[in-house]
Amino acid sequence: TGGHTTEILRLLSCLSESYSPRHYILADSDEMSEAKIRSFEQKRAETFSNSQFTLDRIPRSREVRQSWSSSVVTTLYSMLYSLPLTYKLKPDLILCNGPGTCVPVCISALLLGLLGIKRAIIVYVESICRVETLSLSGKILYYFSDYFIVQWPGLKEKYPKSVYLGRIV
Amino acid sequence: FRFKDSLARDLRRADLVISHAGAGSCLETLEEGKPLIVVINEKLMGNHQLELAKQLHRDGHVLCCNCSTLVETLQSMDLSTLKPFPPGQPEKFALFLDKVVGFQ
Repeated sequence: TGGHTTEILRLLSCLSESYSPRHYILADSDEMSEAKIRSFEQKRAETFSNSQFTLDRIPRSREVRQSWSSSVVTTLYSMLYSLPLTYKLKPDLILCNGPGTCVPVCISALLLGLLGIKRAIIVYVESICRVETLSLSGKILYYFSDYFIVQWPGLKEKYPKSVYLGRIV
Repeated sequence: FRFKDSLARDLRRADLVISHAGAGSCLETLEEGKPLIVVINEKLMGNHQLELAKQLHRDGHVLCCNCSTLVETLQSMDLSTLKPFPPGQPEKFALFLDKVVGFQ
């Protein structure tokens, strides 16, 4: 959604074409992100021939400030979509930055890893908006991601297993 | 002025921006190099949105006030005290990721 998309596209901006094909997963209710992504990929295609990407949608797993208990239910519902999608895509690397959408996708990837079907590297970058506290997605994925990146030193202190590279968006 | 697709053009023409504490608004304004006064709405206290505004204020990139002190701030402000906001460095992320994945 919105700010998350802008941030993730900035993260992608300096990646080489080895990171291809790119598969974007959006919440079904997200209207603006698709346009931003297509615009980004179009520019990219001007520089790198053979640039490839896909776009898929899954049900939104959580509304802003939705209660914890109902979020578990809606996340499980989203997983009915994210699990077959992740199985189909079999990603080597998952990059996410905090919208609720990333939780069902990452859980699906973890399951596929546990079942020996495909082991993905999960890299989570917490939003630049998070200076002192982690988002709910961040709190969950801090334990389940392979690399957890924060953009402010205060968070690095609170979450020692995280990686601090300074501001990267 | 209800909902425009992008405020970019207006932003570029502005000499001063007065905004709420939304991260997108703050960052977009700072990246355009415009002086920014962030108005904090006490009724939204406890919202994590304030974290970024507070940090930007601590680092000297923005002026802060609340609705009742806005006029006073405008009258007494010294915009030359604001420090420029350097851009983020996604290239550092690319280097890190290349190492993680094994591309060198």
